[in-house]
Amino acid sequence: MLTVSDLSVTLPMAGVPVPVLSGVSLTLPRGGSVGLVGESGSGKSMTALAVMGLLPPGARTGGQIGFDGHDLLAAPEAALCALRGRRIGMVFQEPMTALDPLMRIGAQVAEPLRRHLGLSRAAAAARAAALLARVGLAPPRVTPDLYPHQLSGGQRQRVVIAAALACGPDLLIADEPTTALDVTVQAQVLDLLAALTAEAGMALLLITHDLAVVSETVEQVLVMYAGRVVESGSTAAVFARMAHPYTRALFAASPHAAVGDPAPIPGVMPDPRARPPGCAFAPRCARAGGECTRTVPPLLGTDAHRVACFHPHAAR
Amino acid sequence: MKGSAWRSPSLLAGAAITAVMVAVALLSLVWTPYRPTAMDFVHRLAPPSAVHPLGTDSFGRDVLSMIMAGAQSSLTVALIAVAVGAGLGIPLGALAAARAGLLDDLVMRGCDLAFAFPALLTAVMITALAGPGAGNAMLAIGIFNIPVFARVTRGAARGVWAREYVLAARAAGRGDAAISVVHVLPNIAAVLMVQATIQFALAIVADAGLSYVGLGVQPPQPSWGRMLNEAQTFIWRAPLLAIFPGLAIMLAVLGLNLLGDGLQDLLDPRLRRAR
Amino acid sequence: MTGFLLRRLLILLATLIAASLVVFAVLQVLPGDPAAIMLGTGARPDTVAALRHRLGLDAPLALRYLRWIAGLATGDFGISYTYSVPVRTLIGERVLVSLPLAVLAIVLSTAIAIPVGVLAAARRGRAADAAMMGVAQVGVAIPNFWLGLLLILLFAIRLPWLPASGFPGWDGGAWPALRALILPALALGLPQGAILARVTRAAVIETLGEDFVRTARAWGLSRRAALWRHAVPNALVPVVTLIGLQFSFLLAGTVIVENVFTLPGLGRLVFQAIAQRDLIVVQDLVVLLAGSVIAVNFVVDLVAAWLDPRQRLAA
Repeated sequence: MLTVSDLSVTLPMAGVPVPVLSGVSLTLPRGGSVGLVGESGSGKSMTALAVMGLLPPGARTGGQIGFDGHDLLAAPEAALCALRGRRIGMVFQEPMTALDPLMRIGAQVAEPLRRHLGLSRAAAAARAAALLARVGLAPPRVTPDLYPHQLSGGQRQRVVIAAALACGPDLLIADEPTTALDVTVQAQVLDLLAALTAEAGMALLLITHDLAVVSETVEQVLVMYAGRVVESGSTAAVFARMAHPYTRALFAASPHAAVGDPAPIPGVMPDPRARPPGCAFAPRCARAGGECTRTVPPLLGTDAHRVACFHPHAAR
Repeated sequence: MKGSAWRSPSLLAGAAITAVMVAVALLSLVWTPYRPTAMDFVHRLAPPSAVHPLGTDSFGRDVLSMIMAGAQSSLTVALIAVAVGAGLGIPLGALAAARAGLLDDLVMRGCDLAFAFPALLTAVMITALAGPGAGNAMLAIGIFNIPVFARVTRGAARGVWAREYVLAARAAGRGDAAISVVHVLPNIAAVLMVQATIQFALAIVADAGLSYVGLGVQPPQPSWGRMLNEAQTFIWRAPLLAIFPGLAIMLAVLGLNLLGDGLQDLLDPRLRRAR
Repeated sequence: MTGFLLRRLLILLATLIAASLVVFAVLQVLPGDPAAIMLGTGARPDTVAALRHRLGLDAPLALRYLRWIAGLATGDFGISYTYSVPVRTLIGERVLVSLPLAVLAIVLSTAIAIPVGVLAAARRGRAADAAMMGVAQVGVAIPNFWLGLLLILLFAIRLPWLPASGFPGWDGGAWPALRALILPALALGLPQGAILARVTRAAVIETLGEDFVRTARAWGLSRRAALWRHAVPNALVPVVTLIGLQFSFLLAGTVIVENVFTLPGLGRLVFQAIAQRDLIVVQDLVVLLAGSVIAVNFVVDLVAAWLDPRQRLAA
């Protein structure tokens, strides 16, 4: 249903176009689920914004994003507006700022309903109240006439989820939906997302920096680094082998997965304006050899498991 | 810093206009085409010509010379008014920031109170009752600059007071006044400079308003506001007389505003894109 | 909510009293004895003393202040020294000119500035934005009394559409009176509008960058719908606050602009009263104007708090 092929994005930084995504491809079948994993700056959020058609002004794109027969990169703005919120829903990272502080939460959830389904004010309000109850925000504790500032972060994220799911989309994009939340609330919100998407047969594109989070939630995983996919495949295959050194480092850095303390990855991701000519991870990689600093390793393998590395790990 | 200054067109334009204004004001002290007070009743209300580039007024005075002399008086009044405001307002604000609590409250309530009085209206009242003239105009405009500077200083200084090196200086036993002068004021000088530029522009408008109603610089010394007032009487016969002095005020204010905007952009790059 | 209102009202009252004290004190300090001025330079000292006594000017300062303030509280503004009529009557007539003028100017400036500011923000960085903000930058620099002269030149002399000066009063119908107020209101309102447009633009640009605008776009709202439904309402809080702050400038501007257009408003009354040392009128007028500034800002604070549920519900 969603097919991203060879997507590239450049953004102007101080007037100079800088590549932030190159050669990103992924396939998400109807009802399927894909996890995009990487550190901040790896390009995973930019991929989501490209699918939504909400890239920052001045962005240039290449490749195709096919959604149910539409090429989203070539689609006119009006067509994208008709898809957003209707067929594709999105949940953002920062629940504290994602909602309009001047608008009651019920009205905000009702907004996509009125926009896409043409519901009357009363009908939309009733549906919004039901949706809020479905995500666990029911009276008497939470009523639709509250304002965002009267809710906790987790409650606000539930409002954002209710609004994203309001029109029953075919695809839900969740960009770090739990990162800003308390640890205790994170699992609840993730379970809610998984339950709601499974129940409605909705496809899920889950973006996270926490590799452990995706292991239980999604069917396929794409690990991204510096704007490229470095390892991809079925969750089982990727976790079984973790062929790319970056994937292993990311897993070790996860607060949920590692045995003992999480180990931060040494070094920093290269500035997109000055990426090394070869593998972008080479400067931080213990296994890097001469060719790693000269040539970008191609993403090779089968649909079940691909890796872009000259010196991949064998099975764990 | 140097490179970015050249990329800001408003800073460059503002600095250029302001420099020209100051140069004209200084030049008028030693040279004007005619004596700005010299009357010539034969050539009253003459249109612009080679002899009188901007024409003559109802007394036959050369308008260009009067505008040049007007620049001098206008800039002088505004400069002293801003100096009065800054000279009293900055110490007050610095004091309020240094001594939080009652004194701070007192200074800030005082500022609130001062802002309740429409500034120009009160300046009109003060100059009218205390006697019209340049000196009282400077004072009347200056008084309303005090709370502006006090507020800005206090706001900016409080941020500095929270910084570690100030706490360190405090721990080392230095007094509030010494810390204010050595650490706080140099750090907020840029903010104060921007504010001073804005206040300078406002003071020029206020001075022109006062002299328009006859309460500023007294004749025979020319002033832009008075020129506009006199021009109004002859607006049917010589409309240009009502244009040139106004253009001079507008240019002076525009130059200072652009300069202020440019300085602000330079100080706060985050705002640059928003403007 | 009641507690909040009560506290604000107390502050309002305290500010008003402080303002009246300041006005009274300043007028005592400034030179000029009303009795001497009323009687002229040739008056005999005992005549002046008699008049001072009749006007109550020989009473102790504190008593005079209390008498005056008690009068104000009950609506008695005193008797004009020069016209020998109640100051209330004098002010009442002039308010009918100045208040409509101020309201018209605010309405004009807001009606122009907010759409211009929003439009410029929506098109930021493009030619339309640069053009509108260039005009606003110049507009900010034009003093209102000069703009008044320019408007007279253009719309009263070149194109004889509107009166250059004077005011026919409201008795002859609303239209002739409004006609006389159009140019003065433009002269007052346009420079204020230029400032307001710049602030509106900056505020909208800031809210356009907020996460909730992106959320609204993800719900399928068009750029335009997200702008008007989410970015603009959130930008209005600082804009409304600024409109309140501008009111003080507007009143001061009225004083000068009424002179440009020889309108019989409060501004002209201030000048006449000062020229004739009619101190009681000056005193009343300044307190009245300061009071209205304080009151308007009080109302604007309430409006801003009402617009923003975070403030409304916290209060």
